[in-house]
Amino acid sequence: MNFDVYFMLSALQESLKYTWVTLLLAIVPFFFGILFGTVIAIIRFYRVKVLGELLQLFVVIIKGTPGMVMLLIVYFALIQGFDTISQTFHLAVKSKDINLIYIAFAALTLTATAAISETMRGALTAVATGQYEASYSVGLTKRQTLRRIILPQALPVAIPVLCSNLIGLIKGSSLVFMISVTDLMNAALIPANTNYKYLEAYIAAALVYWVLNVVVENIFFWLEQHLSTYKREVLV
Amino acid sequence: MWGEAMEGFFNISLVVEALPQLLTRLHITLFLVVAATILGIVAGIIIALLRIYRIPGFNQISLLYISFMRGTPIIVQMFIVYYGLPAILSSVGININRWDKMIFLILTYGLNMAAFLAEIIRAAIVSVPIGQTEAAYAVGMTRLQTFWRIIAPQAVLMGLPSIGINIVGLLQDSSIAFLLGIVDVMGKARAIGANTYHSLEAYVGAAVIFLVITLLLEKVCATIERRLTMKIIGD
Repeated sequence: MNFDVYFMLSALQESLKYTWVTLLLAIVPFFFGILFGTVIAIIRFYRVKVLGELLQLFVVIIKGTPGMVMLLIVYFALIQGFDTISQTFHLAVKSKDINLIYIAFAALTLTATAAISETMRGALTAVATGQYEASYSVGLTKRQTLRRIILPQALPVAIPVLCSNLIGLIKGSSLVFMISVTDLMNAALIPANTNYKYLEAYIAAALVYWVLNVVVENIFFWLEQHLSTYKREVLV
Repeated sequence: MWGEAMEGFFNISLVVEALPQLLTRLHITLFLVVAATILGIVAGIIIALLRIYRIPGFNQISLLYISFMRGTPIIVQMFIVYYGLPAILSSVGININRWDKMIFLILTYGLNMAAFLAEIIRAAIVSVPIGQTEAAYAVGMTRLQTFWRIIAPQAVLMGLPSIGINIVGLLQDSSIAFLLGIVDVMGKARAIGANTYHSLEAYVGAAVIFLVITLLLEKVCATIERRLTMKIIGD
């Protein structure tokens, strides 16, 4: 077996150059996922009529669609939809002028929103009902209860699951090579296209992903310790 | 004009046309999921037991294995198995270049599943109170009897929901298997897209199939869970 260590190292170097793309592809959807996901979770938690049910349908459909399928659907929908519109209105811009990374952002944000909304809903449910009753009884409004009592308790519960959501996003972002966005995996593969040393390239990419995810895990572990301050005081 | 343009963009009747063609390849997707699940459960139980009984040296190796499998995308694992396994085996004189691609896929998905399941199974077994073991020993059961008759049934109940979630995850992950060139539901969708220039409709058809199978799987898992609870604990 001839394993070219030097080529692996050069592929590693290439993929490190593009690691920021992978991070961007994970963090932007993660941020919007938390934003939209929390709103969806709160709406569903309070069983808002019609809107709650519509959002539930949305979450079920998105969660049942694999990331790869979602990416391809969003890609073809945006590319074809864009050309249809620009043809109809005789615009000069074509779909090929769009930066493909935005398509990746759109698809990954959809997937992230559905997953994170479930995380947040689970965390909201984990807060005991006595907490709601107690805060209503001291005269807090629904909004105050949510902001001052419930969310600070729900967040530490959500942290470990949010961690796996983010790791899932980092791993899921590797699919963007399908729409020819150069992330860390694609960067490692490009030099391999000339000499067919794909094994070395994939191992280089694997190492970067691995280190990245271990770091993320440790950050979230620290965050969890930090945010559980309230909990510890109560227990002591 | 607008309607015509819309028709060219997304034509629902093409989705309906694609569905029966996609369904002809569903058995490939399901076969991959079932085979990988079986491999994953067997390997997962072995890893979990080796960790629980603290086989020397194995703990570190299995922790590293689990960490790698959870920390890297399955697409990367798939290609490492696909390119790496023949390279390793050819160096000891075994030629597997003619192996079916499905074998590489089952290995990848099964080994990936094993890493996730090992932790679930270990947690489920450890969650059974030690008093149960002591009680079983007290009535004269052997170690093996204790495990199979007392510990395992309770652990299965604990672990079942998470195992169900992982099987659904495996189904979703199987959507990238077509990159290796097998024609499952996704591979067929790509072929339809290439032939008709209507990729969007073909992939929406695939999404519908994945959605329905996901919902069915979730239902089946919930039913099995309920039945087993009834059987093991009683009403």
